[in-house]
Amino acid sequence: MVEIIVDGKKIKATKGNYLLKELKKNGIKIPALCDHSSVEPWGGCRLCLVKITKEEWKGWGKIVASCLYPVEEGLIVYTKDSEVEEARKEVIDLMLARSPQTPLIVELAKEYGIEKTSYEEYKEPTDCILCGLCTRICEGLGMNAISLMDRGIGREVAPPFNLEPPDCIGCLSCAYICPTNFIKFEENDKKRKIWGKEFEKLTCKNCGKGTVTKMEAEYFSKKQGIDPSVFELCDKCKREVYSKKFEELQKGRQ
Amino acid sequence: MEKIYRVETYKCIACGKCELACGFAHSKDGKAGVSRIKIKKIGIEKGMPVVCYQCVEALCVKSCPVGALVRNEETGAVDLLEEKCIKCRMCVASCPFGNIQWDENFIEIAKCDLCKGDPQCVPFCPTKALSYY
Repeated sequence: MVEIIVDGKKIKATKGNYLLKELKKNGIKIPALCDHSSVEPWGGCRLCLVKITKEEWKGWGKIVASCLYPVEEGLIVYTKDSEVEEARKEVIDLMLARSPQTPLIVELAKEYGIEKTSYEEYKEPTDCILCGLCTRICEGLGMNAISLMDRGIGREVAPPFNLEPPDCIGCLSCAYICPTNFIKFEENDKKRKIWGKEFEKLTCKNCGKGTVTKMEAEYFSKKQGIDPSVFELCDKCKREVYSKKFEELQKGRQ
Repeated sequence: MEKIYRVETYKCIACGKCELACGFAHSKDGKAGVSRIKIKKIGIEKGMPVVCYQCVEALCVKSCPVGALVRNEETGAVDLLEEKCIKCRMCVASCPFGNIQWDENFIEIAKCDLCKGDPQCVPFCPTKALSYY
């Protein structure tokens, strides 16, 4: 544990942990769009910028992405400095040029007093802000079915060659982790469709209700060491079975 | 010392008050959530409450690919860390007792967390079928 000074307040933080994590733990609000507890920090959105300095730096300071900066002894952090605000504004301004219709970005821009972007708006606005959460969670789960491809203005999230991703198991983690709901999927009781690939769902033996996809159940049961027989029934039917078992036990007692 | 959440099934009269209390204890913006405790009616004024057993060797914990389900040392319950959850619903599918549910309205996992050490269903049970001591 080391002591750092954040906006004039002393707080205790674990040395080596990333700054953003420690700031969040102490209840300091910092905007961050590419940050999630289940994926490694990446420094993609550049919104978590803070200014850091040290006493021995004699007035010199620098702006860093707090999600990737490890905590050190004697760090002095400014999260609401005018320089920081200005840098963040610039980033949001650029994001607004890319996604002028995305509610999350529009709201964030309003918070920082930006009504309209000062840059040229994209001709084909997109909800994807290239935060990379979807590709990183996919990688973290061990699939790597989608990735960021191309460079510059053409950069996008897509499966290889924009075809059906062969490694996708249809777990929908990418869709649910997406901060702007850009990744679309379709789902009904029997099937799930995402990235143009259709998945068959496991269905309850009793009532026919769909649970997870067949590939998902297969992959995770193997990876996490779970007996696949637990996937036979849906949660409701499992409860029925067990309440019946308890009923029988109760009869024996009376 | 760790407390015990006790369900005496023979006392249950299937009034459904625990379900209501649970739904509102896990409400958001005034909307009730999915009840973590479920009563199956087995006769006139007779019910069988089923709720998470907080298993010692829990399959939900084992099945979670990102470690979002962890044991809370204070309450003894298996807690869901919402900021970690990626909503893959493996825990819903793998719970052998069906006590983890998917909340369609809030788009989240509904799992009994013993209300962080103060189960709201307990004071509402009129016959003391549920107790926490």
